[in-house]
Amino acid sequence: MAEIEFTEETKQQVERIGSADIVVGVAGSMAPEDLRLRAERIIEDLGSGVPPLRFVFAWPGSGAEPVASLLDRPAHASLTVFPFTPPAHPGSEFWAPVSANQRAILALAASLSARACIVIGSDLGALNAHAIQLFAYAILDRQCGLAMPVYPAGKYDGLVNIGILSPLSRALYGRRIRYPLAFDFATSGAMSARLVRGEPSANHHGNPLLWPVTLAATQSPQDPVGQVHIDVRHQISTEGLELSAVLGQVVGSLFQDLETFAPQWQRIRGSQLAPVWGNAPAEERDGDPIDTRSMLDSFLLGSKNLDEVWRLVLPPNTMLELRRLTRVAPEQFRIADELWAGIVYDFALAYHLRTISRVHLLGALTPLYLGWAASYAREVATLTRAALEQRQEQFARAWEEKKPYLLSRWRWPDRFNP
Amino acid sequence: MWNHVQQSLQSSMSRVMERIATLLPGILAFILAFLLFLFIGWALAWVVRRILTALHFDDRMSGGANAIAEWSPRLTPSQLVGRIIFWCFLTAGVMVGISAFEAGSSESVVSGWILGYVPHIVGAAILLLAGNVLARFVSRSVLITGVNLNLSYARLLSMGVRWMILVLTGAMVLDHLALGGEIVELGFGILFGGIVLALSLAVGLGSRDLVSRSLEREATRTIEDQQQPERIHHF
Repeated sequence: MAEIEFTEETKQQVERIGSADIVVGVAGSMAPEDLRLRAERIIEDLGSGVPPLRFVFAWPGSGAEPVASLLDRPAHASLTVFPFTPPAHPGSEFWAPVSANQRAILALAASLSARACIVIGSDLGALNAHAIQLFAYAILDRQCGLAMPVYPAGKYDGLVNIGILSPLSRALYGRRIRYPLAFDFATSGAMSARLVRGEPSANHHGNPLLWPVTLAATQSPQDPVGQVHIDVRHQISTEGLELSAVLGQVVGSLFQDLETFAPQWQRIRGSQLAPVWGNAPAEERDGDPIDTRSMLDSFLLGSKNLDEVWRLVLPPNTMLELRRLTRVAPEQFRIADELWAGIVYDFALAYHLRTISRVHLLGALTPLYLGWAASYAREVATLTRAALEQRQEQFARAWEEKKPYLLSRWRWPDRFNP
Repeated sequence: MWNHVQQSLQSSMSRVMERIATLLPGILAFILAFLLFLFIGWALAWVVRRILTALHFDDRMSGGANAIAEWSPRLTPSQLVGRIIFWCFLTAGVMVGISAFEAGSSESVVSGWILGYVPHIVGAAILLLAGNVLARFVSRSVLITGVNLNLSYARLLSMGVRWMILVLTGAMVLDHLALGGEIVELGFGILFGGIVLALSLAVGLGSRDLVSRSLEREATRTIEDQQQPERIHHF
């Protein structure tokens, strides 16, 4: 059982507050006064729309911030705003601090016996009455254990999510969730406790990222999972970080969960539809097709140089197919859905078997991913929004259909090697 | 005269047989000691592996043993401990065997020399193994990082790094074995310098076009990126 240890100061504050109906936590540092103003506005906006609820807004603050003044000036009877000291976390790059804060917020919600916990990204984009109301509706009215966001996205946004995270999570854990790794999400009170305590201790120490959908599907499969449209475009800062480093952290973490929850995902067949509430934002024009030449060049450079590494991970059929792709004209370059799903499954298996160093393995995935991204970007360039949705659904189904391949290789890695 | 030849042949034969007879107990003692330690090492490694598995050693180490896993990806921490124990016992078996050979054969000169040289051999073997693992790991790291940085000469860099580490390892091994004397130092200096020079020439002259194209492409791409807003977002 993975317990989160808070400082004495935070524990005292939690004791002072006692309990809450809804805990809204910000998973990152921000201006406390801004949070306070927004929190007050949200309570006012919700006003007559919802029955009186006790809201607690929390953010990871340090001792230097004006804790006392905020605690002593509650602007609304049902509102408490307080900072907590987040526990130390192992990773310091990209998503690791976000996940550490998300875990801490869930633990706070569990300590306060909250009926719902809403986790918000530190840019506060989703901290508005509409988003809070939607999340609260999904958890309190529709009895969902977990509500994930659906963000408005252009054709070329969040390609790692479209190409790996979402279809892999869906195929493995059977929930059709668009964003399995999100800044904003909401959980029921019971689910908050399960998400924090449900992580095996070894995984908690080893895996710095929190995958709410994975945990919900494996630890509490009976609880429904829903989605809500959140009209926010988060700016993700990857400044100073290489694509391979970021891809390595995110995909490596997902692969690590694959190992931890192998008994659970091997039993799951197909996938369940996750209802979506709220209105999708108006369609935006994505403009002209983009130039995929640089991504294609990266793929070709990888296939020229990393052949010896890929050969250790990928079966001969896949290697043949990749070699064929290096010879086709750029306008005919297309990585088939089944091929791409198979490649990612093979990398997941190599991660599990430690065929080569894991750092090398995830580094060697980057040129392949760029090849897929080039192929995908070229393919969807002319599609309408509805056609794009259909295409993404077809893509995700290909991963589900390919899952038996992963199962066979996972169970009999030596015997089953096409 | 024929009698003299016969006598000297007989006496040399008997001396050789005597020598073999005196060495035989020592050889047998060596084999026995070696086999005994081999068995003990194997059994102890098996027992330790079992105990560590029962104690979930691998799970406990999964947080902090990532470095071990990176260097030895195919072995779990408990397997690694088991293998280290086995090889320690095997080395001890060889040393005890040589000592037993010395006691059994009363040939202290040979066994004494071998016994004194064993630590050098063991040290050299460890150096060779570590050098090879390091060369493979570092060259692969350079290759993958180079490819991800879009460097066309990533393979060349990786090969250069690999050979530099291997040459350095070879020189250290020979030095540790006290073989070659100054020739090794001199040879290493020439070879190491030669590789660096060859790499410089290859990159500077032979692959000048390749490198300049690669750098140009990167520079152009950066300017293009600055000119038009990024339309692809991976995250």
